[in-house]
Amino acid sequence: MFKKLFKQALLIRLVEEKIIELYPTDKIQSPVHMSIGQEAVAVGSCAALKKEDLVFATYRSHAFYLAKGGDIQKMFAELYGRVRGGCKGKAGSMHLAAPEVGFMGASAVVASSVPHAAGAALAAKMRKTGQVVLSVFGDGATEEGVCHETLNFASLHKLPVVFLCEDNGLAVHSFKSARQSYDLEKMPETYGIRTTVIENAMDFVNVQAVTQEVVDSVRAGDGPRFILAKTYRYKEHVGPGDDFEAGYRCKSEYDKWSALDPLIQDKETYDAVKSELDAEIAKAVQFAEDSPWPGRDELLTDVW
Amino acid sequence: MKTISYQDALLETMTQALDTNPSALIMGQGVDDHKGLFGSTTDLAEKYGHDRVMDTPLAEEGIMGIAVGAAMNGMYPILTHIRADFMLLATNQIINMAAKYKYMFGGTTEVPLMIRAIVGRSWGQGAQHSQSLQSLFAHIPGLRVIMPSCSQTILDSYPHLINNVKGPVISFEHRLLYTLNFDVDEAALKVPADPLRARKMREGDDVTIVATSIMSLEALRAAKYLEAEAGISCDVIDLHCISHIDVDMICDSVKKTGRLVVADTSWAPFGVSAEICRLICERDPSLLKQPVERLSMAWAPCPTAKTLEDMYYPHLGDMCDTIARAVTGKEKHGIVLPSETSMADVYKRFRGPF
Repeated sequence: MFKKLFKQALLIRLVEEKIIELYPTDKIQSPVHMSIGQEAVAVGSCAALKKEDLVFATYRSHAFYLAKGGDIQKMFAELYGRVRGGCKGKAGSMHLAAPEVGFMGASAVVASSVPHAAGAALAAKMRKTGQVVLSVFGDGATEEGVCHETLNFASLHKLPVVFLCEDNGLAVHSFKSARQSYDLEKMPETYGIRTTVIENAMDFVNVQAVTQEVVDSVRAGDGPRFILAKTYRYKEHVGPGDDFEAGYRCKSEYDKWSALDPLIQDKETYDAVKSELDAEIAKAVQFAEDSPWPGRDELLTDVW
Repeated sequence: MKTISYQDALLETMTQALDTNPSALIMGQGVDDHKGLFGSTTDLAEKYGHDRVMDTPLAEEGIMGIAVGAAMNGMYPILTHIRADFMLLATNQIINMAAKYKYMFGGTTEVPLMIRAIVGRSWGQGAQHSQSLQSLFAHIPGLRVIMPSCSQTILDSYPHLINNVKGPVISFEHRLLYTLNFDVDEAALKVPADPLRARKMREGDDVTIVATSIMSLEALRAAKYLEAEAGISCDVIDLHCISHIDVDMICDSVKKTGRLVVADTSWAPFGVSAEICRLICERDPSLLKQPVERLSMAWAPCPTAKTLEDMYYPHLGDMCDTIARAVTGKEKHGIVLPSETSMADVYKRFRGPF
């Protein structure tokens, strides 16, 4: 399990490092919200899901797209705005979607996909599909009214949904202490939803183990659960850069979290798998480079 | 031919949806209560279960988002708003999500659902319980907006939309129509046709009247009055679909009459009348022999006092005056107008509170 998850997490990191490398060329002309530092949350949680289970995520979703099984070539083509992208170039980084593997799409309005997960779970329950639905969002999303509305509804109807909060402590540049009057660890309990806290969500094996227990319980019909996964955003809110020099956060936090990061600490495993992953990424970039742009015929296609 | 009220036609289509479409699910505040959304969902929860006819928490955005997610995983949600005004709380999910997903996700996703929003206008509903918000939503690519004006259009369009149409539809149902009885041509219902098409309600040569929702009924009343009083012959079109306007039918009619009156239930600026004028100006402005006239709500929030409300909404006298002006080209046309001064008094068959 460790090596499989390590490899997945490293693939995501190397994909994003490739995006950082390419970004100054303007080949990727859309805002990018990097998952670097948070990969373990995605690979650990998605490893606990079945293929037919669904994930609804956010604009910071390169990691979840890949972890749920989204095609890497289609991803790069999508970032390039090319017609062979998963969404024919109409989505870009913020709206990746691969419903064929249960990655139902990333929405860029904070918290807006949280109710979609509950709705898909309602459908799963009514249609008796056996699916579990994973709702992924950040700590900032829990301040939105719709998040609370959804927790209430999901608990009321005992829906098979797992709420997974990626708690990196930041909403753009604002810390939780400036935003939240409530204790995030206790908030879901007010809706009768049991919360499990993962203190070190850099540890993908632990994230997988915790999520598996939660998913099994939810699939058994015990109602929704909430996982609070504490993690760390290495990069700026949006864009490919570091922003420790901006002064709103301390580099010492990075040092603390990166000391827990297997992708940085475990050089042996890193070296063993890196070249294979680099080749896969190079192939995907080439696929994007070779893909045509969408033409005028696509401009009005799929307007419903 | 059968006679059926607007609310019973709605109940019939809701029953049929639950009967024939296993994915159909009705969600809304009070849909399972003793009032049954003005009779349009009465007893359905007892018959089909509270999971398929679901009372919801007071959480419009959340419920709308839940409907979007359910639609993405195989259900056909029918959402209800007892007042269209409350739907504004759900606009993030309607405009940013439901309308966008098919396009934004490159055609990989469908969001099939229907929102039934009731225009609460009856009497004394005031500024926040009576609005006609069709133009606001028709502006957005990715939404279909309809305003059924009678039982026939409900029975004709709803089953098709619910069973065959794969995107979000908003239907504005007018409260004043609910208790009215309509003759329905059952043979015509069996003939497949575009459920979003406009319908010719009356043939005439002097002036084209394009009307929405209950204004179609007013247009017919005005047409009958003016024919008898002044020999004016009106071509009346019930627009039905606000977002995808049947410009061919309108232009063919205006080509014949050379004159146009648009009668909408909402405000004029940026509204249905403005849009129809745009379409004609783009297609062929030379079709018009006279400036376009329109009827709409006064450009203000709706007042509650009956005296002001009766001025706020156009009545039969206003409509006949407007049509006469369009036909004669004169402010002082000399045609005797009907004495009626309150539109609500004609249609309201119920007493309060709403």
